[in-house]
Amino acid sequence: MHMRLQLPQGASCFTFGEARARRAIEARVVSVFDGWGYDEIVPPLFDDAATFDPTLASKLYTFSGRDGTTLALRPDFTSLVAKIAAGRLRQVEAPLRLYYSGEVVRYEPPRAGRQSEFHQMGLEFLGGGGPAADVEVIAVAIECMEAAGVEDFVLALGHAGVVTALLDAAGLPVDDSGRDEALASLNRRDPIAVARALEGARGSGPARRALVGLAEDNGIRQSLDAARIACNGIESVGEALSDLESLTRTLDEAGLGARVAIDLSESRGLDYYTGLVFRIYGGGLGFDVGGGGRYDALLGRLGRPLPAIGFMLGLDRLALLVDRSGSRSPEPAVSPVVVNARTLGESVREARERRRRRERIRFEGPA
Amino acid sequence: MTLTIALSKGRLLTGAEALFTKAGLAFPPQDTRRLIVEAGDLRFLFVKDMDVPVYVEYGVADAGICGSDVLFEAGSDVLVPLDLGFGRCRMVLAAHPSSGFAAAWPPTVRVATKYANVARAFFETRGLAAEIVKLQGSVEIAPGLGLADCIVDMVETGRTLRENGLDEVEEIAATSARLVVNRASDHIKRGEVAALIARLRACL
Repeated sequence: MHMRLQLPQGASCFTFGEARARRAIEARVVSVFDGWGYDEIVPPLFDDAATFDPTLASKLYTFSGRDGTTLALRPDFTSLVAKIAAGRLRQVEAPLRLYYSGEVVRYEPPRAGRQSEFHQMGLEFLGGGGPAADVEVIAVAIECMEAAGVEDFVLALGHAGVVTALLDAAGLPVDDSGRDEALASLNRRDPIAVARALEGARGSGPARRALVGLAEDNGIRQSLDAARIACNGIESVGEALSDLESLTRTLDEAGLGARVAIDLSESRGLDYYTGLVFRIYGGGLGFDVGGGGRYDALLGRLGRPLPAIGFMLGLDRLALLVDRSGSRSPEPAVSPVVVNARTLGESVREARERRRRRERIRFEGPA
Repeated sequence: MTLTIALSKGRLLTGAEALFTKAGLAFPPQDTRRLIVEAGDLRFLFVKDMDVPVYVEYGVADAGICGSDVLFEAGSDVLVPLDLGFGRCRMVLAAHPSSGFAAAWPPTVRVATKYANVARAFFETRGLAAEIVKLQGSVEIAPGLGLADCIVDMVETGRTLRENGLDEVEEIAATSARLVVNRASDHIKRGEVAALIARLRACL
């Protein structure tokens, strides 16, 4: 029989130094979660396919349960953690500070550097409302990056409320097909495509101009003052901008101002997020290493209304970033002491002694 | 910190040079075969046009210039803040006048193209099944030789189409040169990227 020796497209496998570096980075990040008082949750590997966010439906790996239900391998953790908090942990008093670390599986079209299987480390602060929770999560995220050994990084902060309010005011309500198009175009900062998506919209002119401005003008996108002028008079945008203003003021006061930057075009998938959203970028890696945001509506839909905020880091990308940033492997392997005493029994005895002293050994037995 | 810019030596190069020069930015001389050239405080990479968004997406280049046709096809996750205005072209669907395409589509359309993703997306929006024959060039001869029913390709003047007996059935998209920017560079090198965009925009 002929067996194909390659792994399937999208499956990932790590060995030796790479695996060791990943494990070390994971340990550092997890110890930051633990240090801020978060408790670990180990959610199931699979659940009913309906549990997961509908925007991920096309990326699910599904299979049939023995009873005929449609199950799926977890594509992310947040929806699972929320479901467990609303169900099994219902009796546990909020706030719940939970962290996780594990693989998720998501179909990604075959393309170099994109795996379907990746490792996420993150936390969910359920019942964490208001500015204190926002600041806490940002501070934890910054400490995780520092602990991993990354020096050159920035958190791009946005607010789901800005884009939501502008789209509503521009006349593209939820369920309007133009809304998704406008969001996708805004995500690419493509002013021409944003303008095209808004062509049929009958809403306020200033809101439409502000949306195009967000894509076109770095000033509006990156400065709260400029955004305030551009969005003047558009209902509820002001509130979102004030949220961000007080957040950045607090972060400045905490000495974290240099680690964050405003990006109001950031919305990270709108259905889910209701407030602060952010993505984390590092120098030398072309894409974000992680991100998160506030999702105050999700738990309510599951019958346990609680404000919530969370974020996650991709271990695969973080390891790449640590590697690229030139710092040495976070935990180089210690070369093992060879154990080969006179007899096999003595060798075992010596091996156990050395192991009691936590030495790294390679067992050979008598020569 | 310096920016790395990906360019292709194709039809957009003259326009890119004119724009950079007008904006007072350095531009590499073309009398060299080197593919990585430093000029002023910029570093330039010369790559295939289809690869420009790939280099930028992965952050190997901070920014680049490529046609929107290439962007549609590559589907790369990059920022596209500026339409540079030059290199205007049209992506069209073309067929033989006798094919009757404009009036009725065959149940499965066989289409020859360099732009497989664009073609697939176009027929999908029409709810039609398409069989894509991916070619590297000279797609205009495919319908006459029976390789395909129609083609999806870029036209500037339409002369090549006419000389090969093809009619434009429909314009799929108008295209032009775009500035593309890497997502992380947009934040990590915020000042430099903003300055580049501002200087180019001032010259459009």
